[in-house]
Amino acid sequence: MQNQMKSKKYIKSLLFAIGILSISCEKDIPTNLSYEEYEFSTVDENGGNWKPILIENGSALIIESPDNVDSDTYKNEVSKLKEVIASIQPNQQKAINYWTNNPLVRWNEITLELIAKYNLIPGPNEDGSYTLPNANNPEGPPVFPFAHPPYASRALAYLSVAQYDGLISAWHYKYLFNRAAPYHYDNSIVHAYPENNIPSYPSDGAVIARVSKKILSAMFPLEVAYLQELEDDHLQSLLHSGSYVESDISAGTTIGDKISEIALTRAATDGMKKAQTNKAVSDSIKAAAFERFGWQWENLEIPVRPVGLTPLFGKVTPWNIENIVSVRPVAPPKFDSAEFIEDVAILKNHANNMTTEKRRISNFWQDGTGTYTPPGHWNRFANEFIVEYRMNPLRSARTMAYLNMAMMDAGISCWDTKYYYHYPRPIQMIEGFKTIAGTPNFPSYTSGHSVFSAAGAEVLAYIFPEKTTLVRGWAEEAAISRVYGGLHWTFDAKIGTEQGKKIAQFAIDKAKLDGSD
Amino acid sequence: MLYKTNIPLLRLFCPIRSKNKVIFNIGLIFLVSLSSLSVFSQSPSDALLMPSKNICVLVSYESGNFNQYWEGNYLRKNASIGTLSRKTITTMAAIGINKDLNAYISLPYIKTASSEPNGGHFAGAKGLQDITIAFKYRTIEKTLDSGDLSLFTTLSFATPSSNYLSDYMPYSIGLGTSEFGIREIAKFQFKNGFYAQAMVGYFWRGYTKAERDYYYNNGSFYSNIMDVPNAWNFEGALGVWLIDNRLKLEASYIGIRSTSGDNIRAYNAPQPTNRVNIDRIALSAQYYFKGIKGLGVLAYHNNVVNGLNTGKFSNSGLGLTYQFNYAKNINAEPNEK
Repeated sequence: MQNQMKSKKYIKSLLFAIGILSISCEKDIPTNLSYEEYEFSTVDENGGNWKPILIENGSALIIESPDNVDSDTYKNEVSKLKEVIASIQPNQQKAINYWTNNPLVRWNEITLELIAKYNLIPGPNEDGSYTLPNANNPEGPPVFPFAHPPYASRALAYLSVAQYDGLISAWHYKYLFNRAAPYHYDNSIVHAYPENNIPSYPSDGAVIARVSKKILSAMFPLEVAYLQELEDDHLQSLLHSGSYVESDISAGTTIGDKISEIALTRAATDGMKKAQTNKAVSDSIKAAAFERFGWQWENLEIPVRPVGLTPLFGKVTPWNIENIVSVRPVAPPKFDSAEFIEDVAILKNHANNMTTEKRRISNFWQDGTGTYTPPGHWNRFANEFIVEYRMNPLRSARTMAYLNMAMMDAGISCWDTKYYYHYPRPIQMIEGFKTIAGTPNFPSYTSGHSVFSAAGAEVLAYIFPEKTTLVRGWAEEAAISRVYGGLHWTFDAKIGTEQGKKIAQFAIDKAKLDGSD
Repeated sequence: MLYKTNIPLLRLFCPIRSKNKVIFNIGLIFLVSLSSLSVFSQSPSDALLMPSKNICVLVSYESGNFNQYWEGNYLRKNASIGTLSRKTITTMAAIGINKDLNAYISLPYIKTASSEPNGGHFAGAKGLQDITIAFKYRTIEKTLDSGDLSLFTTLSFATPSSNYLSDYMPYSIGLGTSEFGIREIAKFQFKNGFYAQAMVGYFWRGYTKAERDYYYNNGSFYSNIMDVPNAWNFEGALGVWLIDNRLKLEASYIGIRSTSGDNIRAYNAPQPTNRVNIDRIALSAQYYFKGIKGLGVLAYHNNVVNGLNTGKFSNSGLGLTYQFNYAKNINAEPNEK
């Protein structure tokens, strides 16, 4: 009995201690970039004159003239808006706080999340064969798409370019019609975001919502319903924010529809459909390389994957480079060269003398399957910089458009190089070699991480000059991370970095002439 | 009087003295923390106590492997991993503080690798895993007509002893997080040498640190911090003492149920945030030598028979135990009257 008493007391105090312990240890792990609405550093009233990517100019997409602010129609819209705002629910307030006055960052994050969700390489079937994802049967299995780095770079490029062109159009009409936010006409309207003088017709937020939903629905067809929910939530929050009346928003979605159609028309014919070839085409590409150089990359998985990843991504239409072959680097070293023999020694040395720091670098930049990929990593940095520099949505879109065009072109050039040279990976050439990261299903030379990262870093250095040293350092680290991981030769990384810089220059040269600087 | 089995429940492995009786008992590596990927994901879960002022040390070797794993609840074969092997050397000490309280400390060294050939060409991992410190307290002891009933509470704390990387699955050697555990253990020792034991435990796990600062766990996480799910741990065992209580044979079931977490995604690597469920059955034998005081051996085999986001492990182990009285610097007298 005494024993029982003793044990009861003991258990009680124990449970108390555990309770304290578990409460004090709870952490909130961030699921997106932590930022709130902010005052824009510029309003860019001439933004409507900037040079868009897909359309001739900011007036190319036609929308109706807005009703005058003295009209009954507008006054009705305003009084309706006030009713809506008066009955905002807590979850609607949450939506206002979530989307902020720069929702471009949020939609970019949504894209990164979808990339991570779909960046899964299909496994073998029971009989050892592989089934490729099929856009005509997205449910699969396997599901479509496999959002690998080239796919990711392309999804991000179309998203950002369409957003940018849509916002240039929006800015054109904003300053053409000069219809201010409703709270400027009726100061009883509660508005959620910092006051500014950017006209509200058409709503830039609505352009972003519609473009993002449309482009992402095409890129991730199984997410159509989810994306519609997000768009509805976002459009509603625009109204609730007090910054727009209904007609501001519908003018924005009209622009969004028009530019999305133009962007998706380009996407339908850019060659991506043919990028993932059948085995016969893949074998002929491989044989051509063997004929030229006497080597060929082999997939070493068990069972062997019969076709590498998107052998013809190198033939996809670039954004800013006329002739992709003109930027193809020189051939990698022959196996009997001193350079190659030295590299084998370097790779072996890293593998045999792995340090915590080399491992950390390899893992930090790995961005492998199940993640947002290297292009996604650079978008994440860009999102952080955009918020840090308090960019308005138009400038944010420009940053993302040039960043992602450069990285898609980097991917195209890198893939052209990879399948032209078809150079073997370290695990193929070094007997018994082991890696600390997964060896991808495509040839070695040049390193995708290096090309993507150098291109991304150069564009960010152009837009955020104060970040130049930082981002170039990151790109160098991303490149060498693949050597530490055992996936790439040093020349894959070094030449790949030079290649990425060169490609970015095409985008930067174009950006410099777009009228925004 | 010879060795009278007292509370030989799960896996204790040293001669045990309780009240006026001393028993020999053996256990497995039960001090490998639950965070270990090893099938010994149990901690001091047996129903035995060391005599006061006695220390028992264990050195064991375990070899485990799997060539199939559950991706969610789909059992997958993955030739890019081949057969994954995991070899563990565990050293442990159990210390009798007084007749109702024991302390434990253990530290395993683990090495993982893929069989050759495999499609992944991944390097395995090796290193010291988690150090575990545990205290076991006898809360109830009752002699009934049919036998002896005992209840125990064990508190354990485990924490990584090296900077191994948990986010390197399936090769990583542990979950890389601190773990606080509580177990309640009930045991009934029949007079005929048979015994039955049941255990329920709960484990609070903290966070583990990855070397990347983005991961997907049913959505984006912008952090290098991963939440390792807490887990329930259940066990039921039946055993018997034979040959003058020198040989113990035991069959057991061990269950682990995470309370949260995500599934391994299609053909993708596991990660520490995964929800892990394990059903394992085990057989073990322990023998205490007659001629050499304090010395015992143990052997065991166990199989994971069902699971979620875990390898279909098969493990075999061998161990050596030695018990002595640290106060008198002599071996424990096993047949005290």
